[in-house]
Amino acid sequence: MLFTSFSFLTLLPLALLLHALLPVRVRWAWLLLASYGFYAASAPLNAFWLGVVTLLVYACGWGLGRAQRPVARVALLMLGLVAVLGLLTAFKFYDFAAGELERLVAVWLGTAPALPRLGLRNPVGLSFYAFSAASYLLDVYAGRLPAERHAGQLALYVAFFPKILAGPIERATTFLPQLRTGLRVEPERLVAGLQLIGWGLFKKVVIADNLAPLVDRPFAIAAYASPLELVLAVYFFAFQIYCDFSGYTDIAIGVARLFGIDLMENFRRPYLARSTAEFWGQRWHISLAHWFRDYLYFPLGGSRAGRLRQYANIMAVFTVSGLWHAGLGYGVGWTFLVWGALNGLYNWAGLATRPLWHALGGHLPRIASSPVWAVLRVLLTFHAVLLAWVFFRATSIGQAVLILRRIAGALGQLPALALRYPYSGEQALAVGLIAVLLALEVLDERRPLRERLAAAPVYWRWTAYYGVLAALLILGRWQAREFIYMQF
Amino acid sequence: MSSPVKSALRFVAIGVLLYAALYAGAEWLLYRTGDTNPFYKIATTPERRFDWVILGASHAMPFDFANFNAIMERETGLRILDLATPGNGVLYNRFVLERFLEDHRTANVLYVVDSFAFRSRAWNEDRFADAKLLRRTPLDPSVARRLLAYSVREGVSPLAALDYLSGFSKINNRERFQRDVWEGEAQFERAYRPSASAVKNRIAYLYPDGAADEATFARYLTMFADFVAYTQGRGLRLVVIKTPVPAAYRALLPGEDAFDRIVSSLLRERGVAYLDFSALPYEPRLFFDTDHLNRAGLTDFFTQQLKPILTRHEPGSANKP
Repeated sequence: MLFTSFSFLTLLPLALLLHALLPVRVRWAWLLLASYGFYAASAPLNAFWLGVVTLLVYACGWGLGRAQRPVARVALLMLGLVAVLGLLTAFKFYDFAAGELERLVAVWLGTAPALPRLGLRNPVGLSFYAFSAASYLLDVYAGRLPAERHAGQLALYVAFFPKILAGPIERATTFLPQLRTGLRVEPERLVAGLQLIGWGLFKKVVIADNLAPLVDRPFAIAAYASPLELVLAVYFFAFQIYCDFSGYTDIAIGVARLFGIDLMENFRRPYLARSTAEFWGQRWHISLAHWFRDYLYFPLGGSRAGRLRQYANIMAVFTVSGLWHAGLGYGVGWTFLVWGALNGLYNWAGLATRPLWHALGGHLPRIASSPVWAVLRVLLTFHAVLLAWVFFRATSIGQAVLILRRIAGALGQLPALALRYPYSGEQALAVGLIAVLLALEVLDERRPLRERLAAAPVYWRWTAYYGVLAALLILGRWQAREFIYMQF
Repeated sequence: MSSPVKSALRFVAIGVLLYAALYAGAEWLLYRTGDTNPFYKIATTPERRFDWVILGASHAMPFDFANFNAIMERETGLRILDLATPGNGVLYNRFVLERFLEDHRTANVLYVVDSFAFRSRAWNEDRFADAKLLRRTPLDPSVARRLLAYSVREGVSPLAALDYLSGFSKINNRERFQRDVWEGEAQFERAYRPSASAVKNRIAYLYPDGAADEATFARYLTMFADFVAYTQGRGLRLVVIKTPVPAAYRALLPGEDAFDRIVSSLLRERGVAYLDFSALPYEPRLFFDTDHLNRAGLTDFFTQQLKPILTRHEPGSANKP
């Protein structure tokens, strides 16, 4: 069920009403039931895999809570992790790897045996809830969290419907305590939740879905589209994926808030980042970045195991992140590995040049602290990320290279082409929407829009609300286009 | 009443008023840009009586492209109203005719039949919820009432009625400032260059389930029989035709011979004329795409075949004073 579907938008108020009418102590049960209903609505088999993962982590967590011997604890942890992450890996990569292996053998031997395929439909959201489940086990193992005795509440942590399809990858350490303190429906939280839902819908159906056709067409005919169309498509994609994913997250956080649960912030105006390290570490898909930081980067030694190890750890994190992203929207292919490695290289470059920036700041403090310098850094970071997005969006490395080569080949002529190009109304609308988004993000960066709204007179506040609602009605594309990140 | 509740009610009340204003604006725009939609035509035609109403899917639409309807009227001296819409099967056509007959009269109905429309609910029940149709259908209590009845009786999605009544598709219309014309009309003057892949794609689009299962076909055949009974019950003369299509296109239509046999038998039993022109040797240059007649093709078809049908006098017509 999509957040933008008619059925969801009509069922949500009913679910909330029932939630509010139930006694606080049983609300978790209603949320669990609603979550499984929501998740199984499109493909009932998905609920089976969700149940399997939940039972696995509950059993392993219970064992971890009781086991005293280190060997037993490690064995239980490994059992849980291998089962959960192995399931994810098998679903994601087995068929792809079998195909690639067949091709490789065919190149070497001239013929290849046909390997069996799983042929299973990917359980939507598995990438997200498998990581949530894994983080629970790792936290229990590390003693950051006692093993959850309440199977129902652990099941709700894994399955909670606002976050199951595309995150945030919430931690049990922050989620489970909220179930004990009560899932209260309060007017302030309702308003805050509705604000987020409205803004998330605006980003998704007004911005992302209006940009989608302007991206899809040139990418589909990369060899024939004009270089300027390709340039526009690449820029538009950067905002499409941001608005699509962060729009989903805003709706998820908003919906969770209606039911009395706070989910973690997942995006913080990423295109205003001044370095790729800041982009990945503090602004884009924060819950995943923190997951990798806490469960991969730190255990590998992080930055404390010597400079070379740090470089290796950074590349390991981004390569695994690339693999994790495979299957989210644009199929499973080598492009995601390249995308991850490219981002790893950016972070290497950032790390290597960090002394240079410090030196610059020390010697030329006026330049280093000037707004122009800040804008230049933002633009540089944005364009580095933009280059990497081409590999994320392309269906193959060949297509990504073709797009970049065609753009590079026409780089000198682009300004002249841009002046003569017959822009369509859709493109003009897209640019206008991006401008509105960026203006609001800049304002939000200086002082949160939520605070500004709260401080504004009621007529301004309501004008903003009606403006968003009118945009949703007039400009929104409601034809049930899936969220990019919720396809695995 | 507590202050937050009062505030929420006030917010909703203002929102409803603003929504109504948007709805009114969308409805006003609809009348400024309307053209092809059958309900728009019914709502705006100054005439109350017609000699012929043309129904069907896209193959019946070129009769109203550019000035062709005016040419047909001039050549025959008859009043003709084309209410065909793209991709619509018998269920939607009956819906249109029922509404038309509420406050208009016609003596004859020309139904341009297509086998694809008997093969899938996509061309029947599902068409009612198509935003492209809903966003161009003027607000009309009679249409709304009928749409609700079709939801209950014919398995049309209730969302279609909800969308229509709420005006959502009109407010959300992305082509709100563009004239409501089917894309085929812009190509009416051009000649088609045969393409095997285009024909294949077109057939795949029209027959998503191939020749479909017997139950689906039987369901729409029964609806068609009901439609025939309805027109006869209203004293209308019904003529069912198939327009010419290129031989390469016709050869790929799944189950076409069986369809012809069954439909012609059904119509013969009810005394309805069935004239199948689809096998006439029309060259591809007489079409603007894989299967729609262009102006040259339609002029020839009208002069040679259709004009005698339209002008043939039949006694007992409902349009007689």
